[in-house]
Amino acid sequence: MNFVLVASILFGLGLYGVLSRRDVIAVLASVELMLGAATVMLVGLAGLPSLSSQGGADPGTIEATGLLLLVMAAAAAAVGLALLVAIARSTGRTRTDELTDVRDRP
Amino acid sequence: MSGFVGGLIWGLAAGTLIAIAALFGVWWERKVAGRIQMRIGPQTTGPAGILQTIADTLKLILKEDITPDQADVRVFRLAPLVVFVPVAMSFSVIPFAAGFAPLDTSVGMLFFLAVPALSVIGILLGGWSSRNTYATIGAIRAAAQMISYELPRALAVLSLVVLAGSIRPLDVMAAWSPWWIIATAPGFIVYFIASIAEVNRGPFDIPEAESELVAGYFADYSGIRWSIFMMAEYGGMVAASLFGAAVFLGGWNWLPGIGGILVFVALTLALVTAMVWVKWTYPRLRADQLMSFAWKIMTPAAIVQLVVVAVIAPWL
Amino acid sequence: MIAEFSASSIAFWLLSAVSIGSAAVVVFTRDVMRLAISLGVFFLTVAGWYLYFTHAFLAVAQVFLYAGGVLVLVLFAIMFLRRSKAGEPILESRHSTDSVVIAVGLGFLVVMSLRDRVPIALPQQAFPTTTELADILLGPMLPHLAAVSLLLLVACVSVLVVFGGERE
Repeated sequence: MNFVLVASILFGLGLYGVLSRRDVIAVLASVELMLGAATVMLVGLAGLPSLSSQGGADPGTIEATGLLLLVMAAAAAAVGLALLVAIARSTGRTRTDELTDVRDRP
Repeated sequence: MSGFVGGLIWGLAAGTLIAIAALFGVWWERKVAGRIQMRIGPQTTGPAGILQTIADTLKLILKEDITPDQADVRVFRLAPLVVFVPVAMSFSVIPFAAGFAPLDTSVGMLFFLAVPALSVIGILLGGWSSRNTYATIGAIRAAAQMISYELPRALAVLSLVVLAGSIRPLDVMAAWSPWWIIATAPGFIVYFIASIAEVNRGPFDIPEAESELVAGYFADYSGIRWSIFMMAEYGGMVAASLFGAAVFLGGWNWLPGIGGILVFVALTLALVTAMVWVKWTYPRLRADQLMSFAWKIMTPAAIVQLVVVAVIAPWL
Repeated sequence: MIAEFSASSIAFWLLSAVSIGSAAVVVFTRDVMRLAISLGVFFLTVAGWYLYFTHAFLAVAQVFLYAGGVLVLVLFAIMFLRRSKAGEPILESRHSTDSVVIAVGLGFLVVMSLRDRVPIALPQQAFPTTTELADILLGPMLPHLAAVSLLLLVACVSVLVVFGGERE
């Protein structure tokens, strides 16, 4: 049992949420779970000596990379939430199976 | 394990400090407000009315803790704690004396900015779970306001970080010199105003504006839970004053030994009094004035301050 | 493997339990406020993981950006889209075996692909100071930092455009 297993479980849970949830906010929250799990995995793995000995990064570079990743993911979340609210306000729908405007309707 | 025990002791100490600060702060606020309005303020209970807030506290504890019928009960009960705990945590990184902060961490300045920001979640939870339109509007206003004023506050503190070359509060204090007061004066003013907005005090108290929203996000709270909200407000005020007095005004750097501590306490008291003074002197802002003030005046001022500091830092 | 009784292992088990538990609540709860609260707990445990990996700055940045920023935006979105009524806000899910198979399979794939890379115990590594971090961000990684700043600006403007488009 180590963090790889934990991060994989978190990632799997997030993925399951994305696939099974029907409400856009819940889908977005599940995407956040996946992003969090991936970042934990990256930061944890990058600090391992087995990688460092193969020319891996030093802790400072890992931290800098993680920081940039955090900022990017937060920006993506902000844009996603703004789009979600705009769509919900213009169409009044917040369920993923109702948002079918760009799909051919029979 | 010793770290755990130490943390426990400091947690208790911070809790006691906030409780005393709230007791004293309420009394002090009523006295100052009385003077500003040409009254005397509380005077019958104890000398100069100093026991008045203790009597009030007893009354609040004995009052019934009402939960609204329609409320989301668990979230409703959780919310005051989510507001209070981050404020209590923010006390832990304040440099109280030379070489001493309860939690001496290398990211202390950022910690002090980041952790109290979590209070806004408690406010949103409280406003939502009351299932009350006034409370919901108050919570949304509070969140918008606190997020907007976090930015200039962080930028103002950043100018000190640039001067000191470190975000460890004790390093900043060690590098501090009296010239910084002149160099960061606009930054300090921005920090002070943003701190008032951050604890939702007047003139920035539109989230709890009693003339429009009854009491905003805590309209449905009563008894001890209501007083936890009030303790968070006074605790936040004292924490912001302590931090501002330390890193902006030099705190205990002015005099060696015990004299420095006295100067630090005096500076903090002066800042607390200034916050009370501002509250009872200025009328409440409108929501749009509040936002345009944050984004059109405070944030640009803090950015200009940061640029100025970045340019002069090599010579200072 | 027998877990030794140390502060580090307690922290590890506590973090694992709380992060998986809060993630499970996010995925399975039917109440929208429970979802937001457990998402907040999850963000805080991610900060805890960074602390566990001795990256204090990342942890504080995570608290600042996610618990103080993204979570507030999520709560904002919830409050914009729904009214708080007793018994009302129910989130729907469509549970199906396909989703379970895909999620479990992908998680398993990740674990299997990393299995011989990762030692059991986490090594103690040097604590990167904030000064080092600043040297790296403003030194070799300056182009990355500039690119991310630009991205952030674009995100900011696009949020304003998306929201401002409604005003007429």
